[in-house]
Amino acid sequence: MFSENRLTAMKHPLIRNLFISISLTLLSIGTACGEKIVVDPIGRTVHVPDHPLRIISMAPSVTEIIFALEQQHRLVGVTRFSNYPAAARSLPRVGSYVRLDMERILALRPDLCIAVKDGNPINVVTRLMELGIPVYAVDPRNIAAIIQTVQALGDLLEAGENTGRLVQQMQQRVGRIRDLVATSRNRPRVFVQIGISPLVSVGPNTLADELITLAGGRNVVTGSNLYPVFSREQILGLAPEVLIITSMAREKIFVDIKREWQEWQQLPAVRNQRLYLINSDLTDRPSPRLLEGLECLTAAIHPELLDMQGLNCQ
Amino acid sequence: MNIIKRISIISIILTIVLLLTMVLGISVGSSDQNLLHMVKALIYPEQDPVLSAIVLKLRFPRVLLAVIAGAVLSLGGVVFQSILRNPLAEPYILGISGGAAIGAILGIIMGLARFPGVGFTAFAGSILSLILILYLSSGQTIFQKDRLLLSGVMVNAFCSAVIMFLVSITRDARLHNIIFWLMGDFSTINALQAGLLLVMVIPCFIIIFMLSHTLNLLSMGKETAKSSGVRTRLIILVQLLTTSFMVSLVVGYCGLLGFVGLVVPHLMRIRLGPDHRVLVPACILGGGAYMVLCDILARTLPEQGEMPTGVVTALIGAPLFIYFLKRSNR
Repeated sequence: MFSENRLTAMKHPLIRNLFISISLTLLSIGTACGEKIVVDPIGRTVHVPDHPLRIISMAPSVTEIIFALEQQHRLVGVTRFSNYPAAARSLPRVGSYVRLDMERILALRPDLCIAVKDGNPINVVTRLMELGIPVYAVDPRNIAAIIQTVQALGDLLEAGENTGRLVQQMQQRVGRIRDLVATSRNRPRVFVQIGISPLVSVGPNTLADELITLAGGRNVVTGSNLYPVFSREQILGLAPEVLIITSMAREKIFVDIKREWQEWQQLPAVRNQRLYLINSDLTDRPSPRLLEGLECLTAAIHPELLDMQGLNCQ
Repeated sequence: MNIIKRISIISIILTIVLLLTMVLGISVGSSDQNLLHMVKALIYPEQDPVLSAIVLKLRFPRVLLAVIAGAVLSLGGVVFQSILRNPLAEPYILGISGGAAIGAILGIIMGLARFPGVGFTAFAGSILSLILILYLSSGQTIFQKDRLLLSGVMVNAFCSAVIMFLVSITRDARLHNIIFWLMGDFSTINALQAGLLLVMVIPCFIIIFMLSHTLNLLSMGKETAKSSGVRTRLIILVQLLTTSFMVSLVVGYCGLLGFVGLVVPHLMRIRLGPDHRVLVPACILGGGAYMVLCDILARTLPEQGEMPTGVVTALIGAPLFIYFLKRSNR
């Protein structure tokens, strides 16, 4: 998305000139105070400081990755819903990740902003670049890409052995689930409910769909829509054996939703009491915590392989 | 008083009001709200380069865009009200802005640049809306003016449905933000774009001002205008095209801002009377000031973040619309 847009924008001679002049300015600053030229995971060439010390993370997942790499001392700002780990809550906020407050970002004098391709608005990113702030963009859209993102950010922030350790841990955890699931031939039909009202689910080509498959389930949702809205009638037709509700809502609301579903004894998942609540932060944030989400999903889909009791899923 | 003198005095007073609101607009922001700091940052930019960048590169383009949008939409209100001879006509209420929004969204989906691509598709959309409105309300008499408004409301409802349809079928991540943009957003423009927009709308202002005496005649009816030697068809065509063009540019940049073209012309008419030679410059300047004030409210009312400016203009404008409608039916 970024590269495409930049190309369209670049056709405009004024914008192109501006772009060239900014690049030249950056280049000249670069030689003066220690900059390096890097290519970010979506293929953009970015001039970043050798040792960025004032970083703004423009998505909760990026914040989590930076903390996991133990580079949090470099963070000067995070987005509104950056609630993990607890220390992230006390950092200055720069708006939400879809609605960034450019003035706060600028006022925090960042030497680097880290953006996510799917979420941060392109025009804000372009504006920040115009204002001379380097923006490094990542695109963690599946598990392999998340691990690559951790590696890339680890290299960018020179996190040293933390990077290798974290990447290895993540790969091991994925591998363990893969091995566990391979021992069972059963692939239950799973329906994941990510929205309560309206009833929203996840289609193929989403992170959640990949998680369901890895956790040894079959997503009952097919079709091209990424986040389709369903009626209860359609769900009855899909007859899921496991129903997973991922929500920021805690226990209390889960009890209500569970009660609503109890009316539909025709659903195999309800009849067999296979309704589970998983904290949505674990399943929709492309950060190292996603592996906890994967373990929780595996425990929900294959309780015979993994016990949910030992995990912190809610 | 001689008309030129009157126009000059009113323009000077309103220019001062506009400049004051602009200073206020530039001194309000999420990082620092001190007028003194701001002035200092402008005089000694090297002392605090970050604050001066915030003021010059973020707040100034934003305030400038608000001024342009307010001026264009208010002027659009004046033109539509006099040509359609309906005191409640306005680009948003008539569905002209809605048509432009559909065009703009299609342009964004096609991956066109904000200018000229999206501007062009927005213009095409607004023209389609305009043709539809003129067709639906054709043959109306002065006693059937509600028919025009009703047609506008329906065109608007249809446009909203098309917009929601486009938003729900596209998987385009660029449209994630559409809700903010649709409700009026000034936050992402840069100085270059704002300047370009200004260069585009000033000729429109001049054309409409040059033709403002014909608006006086047109608001008395086409026959009156014709008997005074005005080439009505041509004048009306030029006015409607110019207005739709500048309205679509504004919609393409900052989304839908409703009722501005209703509130400002009415306030100005109450204070300054019905002469369009005075109303046109007064609405340009006053509309700009009004929009800056609405944007300040949108930025400062929520405790965290900001709300779309269109929320403020609709909260003020819609009740006034109902009030004017009630009064005009009496």
